[in-house]
Amino acid sequence: MNHRSLAFRLAVWYALLLSATFALVGAGMFYGLEQYLRSGLADSLRRRSTQIEQILSEAPVDASDSTIVDSIETRLAPEFNNRFVRLTRESSGLVYRSGVPADRSFDPAAIPPSPPPWPARGIARRVGGLMESTKAIDTPSGRYLIELGASLAPIEAVQAHLVRLLGMLLPVLVACAAGGGYLLVGWALRPVDRISQSAELMSLQDVDARLPVVPSGDALARLSISLNNMLGRLRESVQTSRRFLADASHELRTPLTVIKGELQEVVRTETMSRELHDRIGSVLEEVARLEHLVSGLLVLSRLDVGDAQREWVDVDLAELSAGTAEQMRLMAEDRGIRLETAALRPVVVHGDRARLKQVIVNLLDNAIRFTPRGGTVTLDTVVNDTYQALEIRDTGIGIPAAAVPRIFDRFYRVDEARSRADGGAGLGLSIVRSICGAHRAEIEVDSEVGRGSCFRLKFPLQA
Amino acid sequence: MRLLIVEDDRKLAEFVARGLRSESFAVDIAGDGREGEGFIDAYQYDLLILDLMLPRLSGTELLRRVRKSHPTLPILVLTARDATDDKVAHFEAGADDYLTKPFDFAELLVRVKALLRRTPQERADVLRIGNLELNRLTQQVRRDGRRIELTAKEYGVLEYLLSNPGRVFSRTMILEHVWDQSFEGVTNIVDVYVRYLRRKVDEPFPVKLIHTVRGVGYCVRDSVSAAE
Repeated sequence: MNHRSLAFRLAVWYALLLSATFALVGAGMFYGLEQYLRSGLADSLRRRSTQIEQILSEAPVDASDSTIVDSIETRLAPEFNNRFVRLTRESSGLVYRSGVPADRSFDPAAIPPSPPPWPARGIARRVGGLMESTKAIDTPSGRYLIELGASLAPIEAVQAHLVRLLGMLLPVLVACAAGGGYLLVGWALRPVDRISQSAELMSLQDVDARLPVVPSGDALARLSISLNNMLGRLRESVQTSRRFLADASHELRTPLTVIKGELQEVVRTETMSRELHDRIGSVLEEVARLEHLVSGLLVLSRLDVGDAQREWVDVDLAELSAGTAEQMRLMAEDRGIRLETAALRPVVVHGDRARLKQVIVNLLDNAIRFTPRGGTVTLDTVVNDTYQALEIRDTGIGIPAAAVPRIFDRFYRVDEARSRADGGAGLGLSIVRSICGAHRAEIEVDSEVGRGSCFRLKFPLQA
Repeated sequence: MRLLIVEDDRKLAEFVARGLRSESFAVDIAGDGREGEGFIDAYQYDLLILDLMLPRLSGTELLRRVRKSHPTLPILVLTARDATDDKVAHFEAGADDYLTKPFDFAELLVRVKALLRRTPQERADVLRIGNLELNRLTQQVRRDGRRIELTAKEYGVLEYLLSNPGRVFSRTMILEHVWDQSFEGVTNIVDVYVRYLRRKVDEPFPVKLIHTVRGVGYCVRDSVSAAE
């Protein structure tokens, strides 16, 4: 699971928010319930207190204490109802105290007496584990203090139960929320995923491709539509620049033919001084370079447009490169360079034979050009589980690490002076890259200054 | 022999026409597709040289129409495109041969002559110049009666140069004929092979046969027969 993904973060926030809400609601419920239960208890105590008041006020002035006690026990049954009742007369002290309650939740004898002064209006207070309601009344037979109590334990038991229940529900709820949230976000983002997958498959080769538009009428639909519009504009600008490149190199060819032709005719037919002859010859050499440059540009613009694959056949790179090396062997030997092809093993790829040959020629030409006398240029093949590759290694001057990422750029030269003097147009490697791109091959370059370079063309195994 | 050049670039058309006239062809020039069509309807031509990028009526369209009205007229297409795709398309549309700009006039001439079937006899089995002799059947080269051992590419270069003694062959022509297009631009590959060829063919002998024409290319010439 990606911890930085939108889905993950949204789910976490969602879970946090939900837990906080749940905790707040839980706390509210807890205190609300407590208030409710306590006020209910206080009410019931007050009602009992009123009953005792009635008993006292209805009793004749000369009624004995036992009569009062009897009617309290009959009317209230405090032990049975788990209530505490204590009646005190100001003049003579304790009149009645209830016994041990049925549930034995408190000890009546241990309840401390209410401190004076006696409240004229009933008050509720908390004494030990009891809620006590205390009230003083005046009757013809004297001033009495009525104390009524009930254990808080049942309320506390309900509260504890509630806390346990909430504590158990919270993790379950958070887990459900997080999981559900993650799934929901994932589901909501699926169209975005589809858009990005289609975008991933696009390349400059098929600029006409469009992203699927989600018909949801919301931000997603607008996103895919605006991406498509952007693709449209991008396509136009790519096509304009390609057309320009193709047109420009194309337009240059006719005048080049005329310049070359006329000059060649002059050299062939006119009698002239040696110096003039040499000058025209030098111009012609530059024309040849221009010609090479223009045809390189044209090849590139064509590769940009994307080659038709109908000429693709199975090509054995080993056989092709061995043959190509043979055609260039003398050139290498002339420079005192050994051309090694013994290690080649068959590597069959599907592609355009002429273009693949162009790749090999360009890479071999470079290797030979940048390897000093006495060096070796080796052609090798590598086959493993995921790819098959052709390697062109040299013991040449190498490429500085900083330059490696740029060597495939058009017109880039590692050593300006040297390559120009050699007549390189600076297009060879970018043609190599374009052709490899069209064949879905990857180019790897290992190079060390002073030790040599290795160009590896990796063709993915056909699935 | 009357030829028609349909080419909108005046200078190129005139340059080609001049070259062909000096080879004693009669040459007309049409500047666009419609004019070209008019010429073809009005006169009898032996060969049509056609540029594909033409104003008013495109070369491709003209090619199709001419092929319909003149099924046997040889057509040489000039174009700045060299994609194999285009090539196939144009052969399908009826072009007999195909030349990519920028071309060497010498190459154009070779193609024109081939199309006019003027040069069927060029393929002699034994090519000779001075005391140099190349036998196409045995692929043996002798000079002054002595056998010279050549590698396949050296033989190829020499045979090509000898096929038309006195004519200058450009490096591009040699490259395309003996190697192939992929080698275009490879550093001095032709020069290296010619140097090795010279070492074997010319160095041991007082008379040099292989000549360099700077900026243009190479030619084989017996200096006695073509004194400058």
